[in-house]
Parts: sequence; C-alpha cells; structure tokens
Amino acid sequence: MRGCNEIRQMIDEADKPELLSFEVNQHIRRCRDCETFADQRAGLRTLLASGTRVTAPINFDAVLNARLAEVKSRRSFAWLSSAGYLRLGAATAGLVVMIFAAQYTGLFSRDAERVPAPQDMAAVAPKPVPLRPGASTVEPPEVQHVVASVPRATIGARGGTPIGARVMPRGYSAAEDGGVVLVRGTNGEMDVPMPTVSVGAQPLLYVSAGKQPARGVGASF
Amino acid sequence: MAAVTHQAQAIELSGSRSIEAANDHELLAAIRDGDEVAFQEIVRRYRNPITNFVYRMLDDYDRSVELAQETFIRVYTSASRYQANYSFSTYIYRIATNLAISELRKRKRRKVVSLFSPFANDDGEAIELDPPDLKVLQDEALIENERRRAVARAITSLPEKYRAAIVLRDVEGLSYDQIAETLKLSEGTVKSRINRARNLLKEKLSAYI
Repeated sequence: MRGCNEIRQMIDEADKPELLSFEVNQHIRRCRDCETFADQRAGLRTLLASGTRVTAPINFDAVLNARLAEVKSRRSFAWLSSAGYLRLGAATAGLVVMIFAAQYTGLFSRDAERVPAPQDMAAVAPKPVPLRPGASTVEPPEVQHVVASVPRATIGARGGTPIGARVMPRGYSAAEDGGVVLVRGTNGEMDVPMPTVSVGAQPLLYVSAGKQPARGVGASF
Repeated sequence: MAAVTHQAQAIELSGSRSIEAANDHELLAAIRDGDEVAFQEIVRRYRNPITNFVYRMLDDYDRSVELAQETFIRVYTSASRYQANYSFSTYIYRIATNLAISELRKRKRRKVVSLFSPFANDDGEAIELDPPDLKVLQDEALIENERRRAVARAITSLPEKYRAAIVLRDVEGLSYDQIAETLKLSEGTVKSRINRARNLLKEKLSAYI
C-alpha cells in the first residue's frame, strides 16, 4: 500500500495523466486530496501545453544563411582579426626587442671570442712606442700578427724596411673588425698624408712610415 | 569507429535514400562532409521547436529568433565535434538552453530594479511579485489572450534553473532522461526542479486552472 506522497510523486512524474497505473487510479478514487492534486497537475500541464506555439518567421532561413556566410568568412580570415593583429604585433615587437638586446649585449660580436685570458693579456701587453719626432728611422713595434685579408698598404720607410703588411702591436684590436688602418707615410721620397678616415670604434693602429713611428690611436669615428 | 560509422552514414545518405528519410545522425554526418542540403533539412526540422522553446524561456520573440539562428550556426560550426552518444534533439536543445540561460543572465545583470523586486523565493533568489489576476473577463478572445500572457509571465518569473526544466518538460514534451541529458543534471534533480516549478506555477496560475 503506497502513501499519498508516493502516489503524488507518481502523478507528478507520469508522462501523461491518463497513463497512470491502476494502483494510482484506485488511490485517487478513494483519496480526495490526491484527486485534487491530480486534477490541478493535469490542468496546469494542459495550460502550459495549450499556449500558442510561436513559429520561426518566413525569412528565418535567409537570415540564417546570411549569418552563416558571415561566420564562414570570419573563420577564413580569422588570423586577420583584431586579436590576430595583436598577436602578430606582439610577436614582432618581441622579436625586435630580442634582436636589440642581443646586439646590445654583444651576443653576435666576434670580439667576445677574441678576448684573451688575463695571463695572455699580461703576456701580450704592448710595449710603449716611443714618439720621437724627427727620427730618421722607424722602429716598428713588435709585430704580433699580420692580417693579409685587407688591402695592403705599402709604406716606404725612409731607409728602412718597407712595411708590406698591416702590422698590429700587441694588445691592439684587429683592423678586420671594421676599422680602417690609417697610414701616413711616404711614397718614395714624398710624404703622402692620408686622410684620417676611420669607421667604427675600435682602437686602430696609427702608422706613420715617415718621420713618426707607429703609434696606437684610440677610438675614432 | 564512430568516424567510420558516420562516413558510412554519409555515403548512404548521398546514395539512394532521400534527405527527408535520413535521421538526424545521418544528416549531421552529411553536414560534417559539407552537405548544405543536409543542414537545411536540420533547420527545417528544428527551427520551430527551437524558436518556440527559446521564446518560452525569454518571452521575447525577436531575440528568440536570433538565438534560434545562433543555435543552428553552432550546430553547423561544431558538426565535426558532434558525437552521436545522445539524440540530436537533446544536443540541439542543450545548445539552445545554454544560449537562453546566458541571455537571461545578461538581462539579469542589466536589469532595472523593479518596485516588485524585493520579494525572494525559498532559495533566496529575487522574484517579482506577480499576484494572480482574479478578474473575470467577458470576451473569449480577451480571456484567451490574457491567459497566454499570464502563462508567459508566470514562466518568466520562475528562476532560470526551474524555467528550463519546466519548459522542456511541459511545453516541449521532452522526457525526464532527455531533460537530464540536456541540462547535464541527474534525473532526480530534474524531477525535483519540475515539481518545484509546478508548485510555483500553480500558485501564480490558480485562476486559470
């Protein structure tokens, strides 16, 4: 024997009021409260279901197709959307910042590879080159290495040995890093002053093949 | 395996069977393969029920039509992700329900405070005072019109969690398990919500029952 609560639950959950089981119908006949409950539920369900059902408008399909075409075109060019632009711009800005940072820190510079160890620095410390105005002979500084990759400048030393290659004293940077070896000297018996043109900020070798001996020159622009 | 099944259905659909005879799963498989005619058939089958369902949820016809169209757009764009574990009607009603509830929440956020708002239901949610209209109307058309408006007002005054369940059950006629799948709730919770909704509606519509 089921109680009223259980019967009402079965009434409420029934798919259709007319499809209640025999047991529930028997109970409803005997119980006035449950009968009232069943009538109210049936009336409410009828009221809710009887409301006029709205239908889609005539132009529903046309508007839908237009909206769908718009969505499709948006998806085709999604990468051109504002969000896509933002992503592209952010990526470009990030790349530029990384390149600048790498350049600024010297990541791409070959100078970093050439920095000698401290003990080597001591070993290759350049000897001071005396500046002796009026000296007739050139005492070239101790040759550290000869760079043959740049055009050679033949410097005719007065009575001395011609310098056939660019010479670098110890401790000076190599000219192939972008600098230009400035040479002032003589061509035969004539002094040929050469313009002091240089590029970069490397310490350059300043060679005078004439009266002045070679000397180091600081950064020039 | 599912993909193979869908492919087979699509092939079958493009073969001897007419588009009207195809079931929803076959149509979805065809839509996935880019068949526009299959999509039009799905729209033809569901545009009125979905529009009506959203209208009963919102009581706003123009917005209901827009959301019904949005429902079909989502069906189309997510056809490749559709899994035929449930019936398609459950799937499309779920999309429509989510859109309608989202719309209700948007409206709730920008809602103007009414003089009748300070009332709350048992769950603490604000509800508008909607006393039953006990006046007797003489004209049948007016009575019918007033009854429709009263039902619409009563439904829209329900909390959204009750509203979706009662509309799906008593207006659209879905079964409890379909509603449970649509709302992603247990069947017991669905039954409880429908019972609560009916009790609330009974009070509001007592003059018409």
